[in-house]
Order: sequence, then C-alpha cells, then structure tokens
Amino acid sequence: MVVDTPVIQTESLTKSYGSRVAVNRLSLTVEAKQVHGFLGPNGAGKTTTIKMLVGLLRPDSGSLKILGMNAAGDKPKIRERIGYMPELPKFPKHLTGEELLDVYGRMYNIPRETRKQRIPELLKMVGLAERGKDRIGKYSKGMQQRIGIAQALINDPELVILDEPSIGLDPVGMVEVRDMVKGIVKGGQTVFFSSHLLAEVQQVCDHVTIINNGNMLFTGTLEEVSQKAGPNRRLVIEVQKPSDAILQALKALPFATVDSSNSTYTLTLKTKDDVRADVSRAVSGAGGVILRMEEQGGGLEDAFMNLVGKEAQ
Amino acid sequence: MGEQTKTSALTGFLAVLYYEFLWNLRKKKIVGLFILVFIIVTLELALPPILDYVNGVTLTPDPNSVTDFFSVNGIFLFLIAVATTMNTISGEFETGSITPLLTKPVSKNTVFWGKIVASFLTLLGIYAFLTIYVTVGAVVIEGTQNNLQLVPLGLIGLTLATMVWASVVIILGTISKNSLVAALGSFGVYIGITIVAAVLGTVYGQTSILFYAPGGGATASTTLCERGVGTTFSTGTDNLGYLLIQLVLNPNTVLNFCGVRISPGGRGEGVQLFTSSSDAMSTVALRALGVSLAYTAVLLLVSWYAFRRSQIIESS
Repeated sequence: MVVDTPVIQTESLTKSYGSRVAVNRLSLTVEAKQVHGFLGPNGAGKTTTIKMLVGLLRPDSGSLKILGMNAAGDKPKIRERIGYMPELPKFPKHLTGEELLDVYGRMYNIPRETRKQRIPELLKMVGLAERGKDRIGKYSKGMQQRIGIAQALINDPELVILDEPSIGLDPVGMVEVRDMVKGIVKGGQTVFFSSHLLAEVQQVCDHVTIINNGNMLFTGTLEEVSQKAGPNRRLVIEVQKPSDAILQALKALPFATVDSSNSTYTLTLKTKDDVRADVSRAVSGAGGVILRMEEQGGGLEDAFMNLVGKEAQ
Repeated sequence: MGEQTKTSALTGFLAVLYYEFLWNLRKKKIVGLFILVFIIVTLELALPPILDYVNGVTLTPDPNSVTDFFSVNGIFLFLIAVATTMNTISGEFETGSITPLLTKPVSKNTVFWGKIVASFLTLLGIYAFLTIYVTVGAVVIEGTQNNLQLVPLGLIGLTLATMVWASVVIILGTISKNSLVAALGSFGVYIGITIVAAVLGTVYGQTSILFYAPGGGATASTTLCERGVGTTFSTGTDNLGYLLIQLVLNPNTVLNFCGVRISPGGRGEGVQLFTSSSDAMSTVALRALGVSLAYTAVLLLVSWYAFRRSQIIESS
C-alpha cells in the first residue's frame, strides 16, 4: 500500500513576536491534491504561519515538513517545488512583467526555451498578455496581484501557497482572482490558500483550517465544518396569513425551535436532515400557505462565527 | 505538473547577478552620477590645456596623465560607493521585494554574495568605462602615455578602494534595512574618519594609527621631513589604485612620514616636522591593499551574518 506523504505537516509549530504569541502549537496537515483554505480574521496568525512554511520566518519551536522534508529555515531545495504568492506582493518596480518572470525563472533554472514558452502562457492566464512589456511600477494593485499569481506558477510547482490573493481588490478583481485560483486547482496542484473571506474559501476549497489568535480552532473538510455549524442552521418560512394554528403546528415539530415575527417563522434546526417536506406538511395541515421557504446558516460562515466567537469568549 | 528542474548554487548565483544588474543599470542615480563624473573628468582633461592656450602658455605634454588619474579624491570614491550600493540590501527590504526574492530557490548566502559580486562588477564596469575615456582623452590631449599596461592594476585598486566605502554603506543598510540610514550613516562615518585623521595629523603628525584607518590614511613624503616637504601623497585605502601602480614602478622608493614636534615656549621655533618613520613604497602599497581587503572582508562578513539572521516579519 502506498502511503502519500502529506504536502504540509506541522507539529506544535510556534512563533512569538516578543511576548505576543502569533502562532501557538499549530499542528496542521495538508494532503496532496487538496485545496486547503486557511481561514481566520485579520491578525489571526495566517501570514506568520505561511512565512514559516516558505522559510521567511524561523519557528520558535515545533516541527515543519514540506513534501516530507524538514522545512524550517532557509531551504532552497524545498522552495524549488513550491510556488508562493505573498500577501500584497511587491516586486522590483524597474522590471517589466516579462523580465520579472524571466529572472525568477532563471532562479528556478528553467531552460530558456521553456521560459520563452511559459511566460506568455502565464501572462495570458492572468490577463496581462498585453502588459507584459510594461514596468511593474506602472501596474495597478490588481495587476500586481495577477503578476504575483503568475510568478507563483513559473516553476509549475507541486504546492502553491497563496496568501490572501484577493486582498485589497475591488469586487471585479476579487472574482477574477478567484477564477484564476480555480484555474490553478484544475491543474491538479496542491493549493494552500489563506483568506479572511469566507465566501472565497467556500467556493474554492475542499478542506479548511480555521485559526484565531494563533490557535487552530478547526481543521477538516468543508462538510465537517458545516456540521460544526449545526445549531445555527435555520429554515425561514414566510406564509400568506399567520395564525396561532401554524405556530402551534411548527412548535410541535421535534427537530426545531420556532420564533415568529409577523408573517415570518424562523425555525432553528436541531437536525442535519432535510426537513423541508415535514415543515411544509405542518404548515399546510394548519391551513397555512407558504410563500417562501429559505434555508439559512449552517455553512462555513456560521461555523466560523461559532468557532471564533467561542475563542473570543 | 511539468518537468522539475534542479537548481544549482551556480545557476542561482548567476540569476541573482542578472537580477541585480538589471536593477543597477536602471537606477536613475547611477545614470546621473555617470553623467556627473563624465563632466568632471572631461573638465579635468580639457580645462588645463584650454586655460594654458588662453593664457599663452606653451602646452607641455604630460605622459603620466593616465597613471596619475588613479590618485583620486576620497569623496569621489565615497559618492560612487553610496550611489551604487545604498539600495543593494536595504532597498529590497524597503520596497518589500525581498519577500518574493527569498522564496525563490536561492539561498540567503547566494542572494547576499550575488549582490556583493554584482556591486563589485558594477563598480569595475563604471571605472573601466571611465578609464577608457580618460585614456583616450589623455592620449588625444596630452600625447603618448607611459605605463598604460598598468591601467588594469590601477582599475582593480580603484575598485577595491571603493569597496571599502561600499562595505560601510552595505553594513549600515543591512542592519538598518533603510537606504537613507545607509547613505547618511556612511557619510557620517566618512566625515568622522576624515576629521579625526586631520586632527591626528595636525597634533601628532602622520602617526601609525593612520596606516590602518580607511580613507585617505597617512600622508607620505618622498623627501626627509627635516628638509621640507617634497612630493606628498596619500597612502590610505582611497589611493590604492595609484599605490598599486607605484608598487610596480617604484617599489624601492622610500616614503617618509612626518611627525610634529612643538617646541616648549616656542616663540622662535614653533612647530617642527621630523621624520617619524619611513617605509618602502612596496610596504606602503601592500599595507594599503591589506587594510582595504581586511575592512571590506570584516564589514561584509558582519553584513552577511546580519542578513542571514534577518527575518521578514512585515510585508512592507
């Protein structure tokens, strides 16, 4: 039986800045081919963790393995196999986009012919095909993010680490960057992707790790994290004409508690099952007509708020 | 995933050199300095014969014009050093471009020494260009030049002399991660050393402390000090280019260093010069070479250690 080595594996990884613990005993595993979201509010310790992964920061304690190799400190051999896009990337302004990719390609010892082929492809992929000969100093923030994604892929890496790839972008830019990340995912690479945007993680990732104040609060699949949010899953019903009979019928349901407001009833569900048919029957049986039925919560957002909220308490 | 390529220390090093050259060649201040230096050198070459002509003085060819060019003022070397290296390390930290750079498969050692070698080669290139210009100009204006075969030696000396100041700039930039601190701090060091050397020279004469200080160093005389000061020149690291040429041309020439004696009650006598020490030209030149290399090596090793220890905490 072949056992795949985790692409990222940390054990009790810790980093402090003075007396402030930025990352506290983080034990994280990212398996091959995962699209792993690293979620947390600003200042949670995401960037510090990522900087330790790519060798920009030395851990105070704990172990850190990338692709099965000890990765703590300055490890160029590991970086050969990683692509990394920093948060708000800054590149030498005097270089053009093409030159930047070319010089970084040289650092990866990518043959000239391969560079000549790959650079236009990457520029096209990130939507900078027409601006490759312009100096980076003339690029907008969004274009710098795009060239940041392109340079992270220049070596066709096994592991792509993206630190807040859509931070600071306008909504259109955010959607474009998200699409680019989806494009990377299709390439079959392992992607480790930090964000404070829940929707972004939900749309792109299959696994998620939630961190706050340097502590890991959860790690698992998106389904598992949704289960964590069970208590907050709600069903909101709007009826044509509210009545006591409807309220009593809903209160009689064993799997929910009910709040009412005018013509709207909110059922907080205690079950993970699909109960819409039961609810519909209960309302109809009480002589009510349903105008709208909507499921709310129970997703990543609720799980996140649950976990981070508990941490704050 | 495509074919994985293996990087080697050499390919990484060459890539860093390329990266650095692209940067250096586009620094506006280097281009500006180039233009300024060319104007100064052009004036230095052309102005004396023009003035002689205007004043009706017969033009006398100077066959040593090129070799004498290497005896340049220290501030010239200092300014070139600052313009070339003030951003070398600190600029990467200031702009934040250090973050993507250090996540490429090149070690911190390769990045640091690649940048240093690139700085050395940039200085060598600037001086080579300048020397060719001076040589052609001197041949045109002053006629046939002596000892042109020693020009490469002078060029190496000039570059090594500038590397002393460049190392001061680099260490301040690496520790502070701030180009302004690197430039102003090294200017403070330059001014401080120059003032201290001048005070020491006035009070104690050309004391042996000055043999081991960077910069102008001690002033040597070709005649004994008791007989009055003859031809004098600086024997410090700044004058390394000229000294290396003299090492080949006049290795046995004795150079004298004058001490100062102040007579007590001194109405009649006042300040007297005496020969406090004498050395052969070869000793003086090799000592300047050793002092230059020692300062450069120590300062760069400390910078390298600081760079290796540095961590990228902020994204800048």
